[in-house]
Amino acid sequence: MAEKTKIKTATVEEIEEKDTGMTADQLAKEFKEHSVAEFFKKNKQMLGLSGKIKTLTTIIHEYVSNSLDACEEAHVLPSLEIKIAELGEEYYEVTVTDNGPGLTKQTIGKALGQLLAGTKFHRMIQQRGQQGIGAAGATMFSLMTTGKAIQVISSGGDKGTFMAELTIDPKLNQPKIIKMEDVDRKFSGTAIKAKFKEIKYQRSEQGPFEYLRRTAIANPHAQITLVEPDGTKTTFPRTSKVLPTKPSEIKPHPKGITVDELLTLSHKASGHKINSFLKNDFDRMGDKAIEEIEKQVHFDLNKDPKKMSWEEAEEIVKAFQKITFIAPRLDGLRPIGEENIKKSLQEIVQPEFISVVERKPTVYKGGFSFQVEAAVAWGGNAGREMGKDDSGQAVRKVEIMRFANCVPLLFDSGGCALTKAVNSIEWKRYGIKDVDSAPLTVFLHICSVHIPYTGAGKQAVADEDEVMEELRLALMDTGRKIYRFVALQRREAEKQLKRKLFTKYAKEVAIGIHELTKKPTNDIERKLLDIVLQKLKIEEQQEAKDDLPEELSDEEIKKLEAKEKKEKDKKTKKSRLETVEGDE
Amino acid sequence: MAVTDKKDKEVIQKLESVGAALLKQIDKKEDPQIELPVRSLNNIYFDKKSKTIKLGDKTSMRNFLNVAHTRKFMQSVLVAAEIKKVIEEEATVSIRDLYYALKHTIDGTTENTFEEQGESDPIIEDIEASTNLLREELHLAASSKGVVTGDLKIRDGKDTIDLTKMGSGGWGVPSNVEPERIEFKDVNAEYVLFIEKDAVWKRFNEDQFWRKNKCIIVTGRGQPSRAERRLVQRLNHEYELPVYALMDADPWGMYIYSVIKQGSISLSYSEEKLACPDTKYIGLSTQDVETYKIPKEVTIKLNSLDVKRLNEMASYEWFKKKEWQDEFANMKQKAVKLELEALSKKGIRFITEEYLPDKIKRKDFLP
Repeated sequence: MAEKTKIKTATVEEIEEKDTGMTADQLAKEFKEHSVAEFFKKNKQMLGLSGKIKTLTTIIHEYVSNSLDACEEAHVLPSLEIKIAELGEEYYEVTVTDNGPGLTKQTIGKALGQLLAGTKFHRMIQQRGQQGIGAAGATMFSLMTTGKAIQVISSGGDKGTFMAELTIDPKLNQPKIIKMEDVDRKFSGTAIKAKFKEIKYQRSEQGPFEYLRRTAIANPHAQITLVEPDGTKTTFPRTSKVLPTKPSEIKPHPKGITVDELLTLSHKASGHKINSFLKNDFDRMGDKAIEEIEKQVHFDLNKDPKKMSWEEAEEIVKAFQKITFIAPRLDGLRPIGEENIKKSLQEIVQPEFISVVERKPTVYKGGFSFQVEAAVAWGGNAGREMGKDDSGQAVRKVEIMRFANCVPLLFDSGGCALTKAVNSIEWKRYGIKDVDSAPLTVFLHICSVHIPYTGAGKQAVADEDEVMEELRLALMDTGRKIYRFVALQRREAEKQLKRKLFTKYAKEVAIGIHELTKKPTNDIERKLLDIVLQKLKIEEQQEAKDDLPEELSDEEIKKLEAKEKKEKDKKTKKSRLETVEGDE
Repeated sequence: MAVTDKKDKEVIQKLESVGAALLKQIDKKEDPQIELPVRSLNNIYFDKKSKTIKLGDKTSMRNFLNVAHTRKFMQSVLVAAEIKKVIEEEATVSIRDLYYALKHTIDGTTENTFEEQGESDPIIEDIEASTNLLREELHLAASSKGVVTGDLKIRDGKDTIDLTKMGSGGWGVPSNVEPERIEFKDVNAEYVLFIEKDAVWKRFNEDQFWRKNKCIIVTGRGQPSRAERRLVQRLNHEYELPVYALMDADPWGMYIYSVIKQGSISLSYSEEKLACPDTKYIGLSTQDVETYKIPKEVTIKLNSLDVKRLNEMASYEWFKKKEWQDEFANMKQKAVKLELEALSKKGIRFITEEYLPDKIKRKDFLP
């Protein structure tokens, strides 16, 4: 509705402008000058900069991803500190400091003051995808909401520390350096300080705290510290001292390529002919495949790839779809690793039990390799704390942590294949009766050169059949492991309860029997306790014989449900009888 | 400590034997257990000979090492021990006293041995039933709430009380009305009238109905406690006074009548001493609404719980007589119930001067 009104007003203005005699040239110039800023404003949603909490989380994500990538490239174990200070109502200052290689005076402008200047596009490599528009987008957002420049201190490679104040020229989409000078200070890394309005800090499930906590879980080699606006300092410690191996850049598989991508690749082609470009720059592309393509397209494949037209590229992509290729190579993926996930969940979630499953890499849609890792953490501090009950016990609810290429996904959870996979599991089968209110953290990570996101916001993974299948298999496997633990834990708890119950009453019973028989109380009590221990021991031996199954069968679940129902009915029936039998 | 009463000695012996049996099991390293008669609907029967409800011979075990039993087991032992103590001290205590005497926090917990009297009362009934002893023999007294007037004297210990001179309040029935404690003298009455409601009883007392009609009037203020029932049962047995019941025409009133007549499920183990099987139901009945032209506006609509209760009662063996089955059917069909007080619509003294004399004259009772 609001959008409509805007358009209408603009039309009126246009007419007025025409009346004042504005030329088409002037209009075009006006449009060009405002293009970047306008584009930015209009596409805020797509850039992840909508919603006050989400915007702040996105900004932090851009800085943190850059820092983690930079550290890894320089073979440095990342140590990050994020400080969020409240300057006024919906007005904050964000400072992100890393120990990376730093930026140089030459690269700083492009990195932080020019939109869409990154090198991350069109690389066939598993990478922390941008969710928004990069760190320069944050610079732009700062300018738009506060009119201020951002401040940076960087170790500047080997050339000494320098500081810079810079912003973006929105008309030209060029960096605008306001100040740049050397500082006499030993510093290694980059620190960026920027101010923003129209954002809000909250410790909610979609806020920066949760984002960083989960980032730390998925990046066990990083140490991340957060200072919140109220001064609370939280450090998510490093749990692995091993830098993850760099994911290798792999050649694209023909099944997973779009026309646009094909054209982009063709400009960097190594060969001088389209057929050699296809053969060299694509995975699983043999002579036989080239012959097939030649048969299906209406132009000469000896043409210079740099001169390939959109229509020609389209024909090739169509041909790719008709031809059978060997499935793509499965290396080049970089999972977090079973041990790493276990360690970081242990450190950061602090549950009583963890089970982790790493699936083997596989392929979806015939052309994209991907790999799934799943973990469940049970008991202790697992699950999301929803407050305290009357007795001060924490009330917890299931927490689903979604990750794509080591980046936590905090938004659009409902439409995401990862959430759907968790909800599709019959947790009862694994001894978890009421999963919604269980002390349970479910961890799901998908890594791929090409994550099938549902939309440009990159916050939800599409439910491709093969992806869903892998996610479900991984979760069921974790379920089987947790079932044993949960069942044993429940048994142990019941045993403790019994022991407590019987020992509690032993003394009272002994006093009563003493009164009736005049035999010594202590003697009776001791004998009663002996009987209790003897009984529990016999039960224990019995249990040891009945081995636990891997999971509950349908039949057993039905039995369980029937038992629950019976108990419930009994309760209501009993209260009914009590009201009727109001006798004496 | 030295118990002289023969009966008391016998009771103490019984309680001690319960303790001895438990000790024997414990010494054998067995899970100690107490055998108790089952006091529920599926273990009672209507004894056609005595025409009272009686307890069947089903028993159940209450075990120490059973999660569902252990608390009640502990409570049973404590109650038995406390009763023994009370008898040895030659005292009599109320069941509320007993509850408080036994209530304490269990060592190392925040749990009490008994959380409410509702926990100790059924245990007392269990012990009565399992030892086959009356509450009075265990030196326990249930609170009573009923009152009585009529032309008779009562000897209560050293006091003799003339029940014609009790004013408007009547004589409060004590909790122990056993012959050792209460004696009747100069009984000049032809029947006993058991009235459900206190307010109606007051009307009968104010009008000196008992004098004019040579009867004894009693109320238990709703469901009578065992003292009122025992008192009436003794008058019935010792002086052969017929008993008539005057209740609301609703399922609850009819149920109270059946308790007076045949006994209740929970006290089924001692109904021989409490029930008056010859009791007749004077009213109110559904038929009375027509016979006495009770205006429709003072009747109350039956609710679904009433209907359910009627159906349940219709299935009880002691309500199988045709007259009662007809009454239940009639009430369901008319879908109304009627309170005793509703008769005031026909005049304040209608109930004492017209309704009741007429009913007795016509012998218009339900069996």
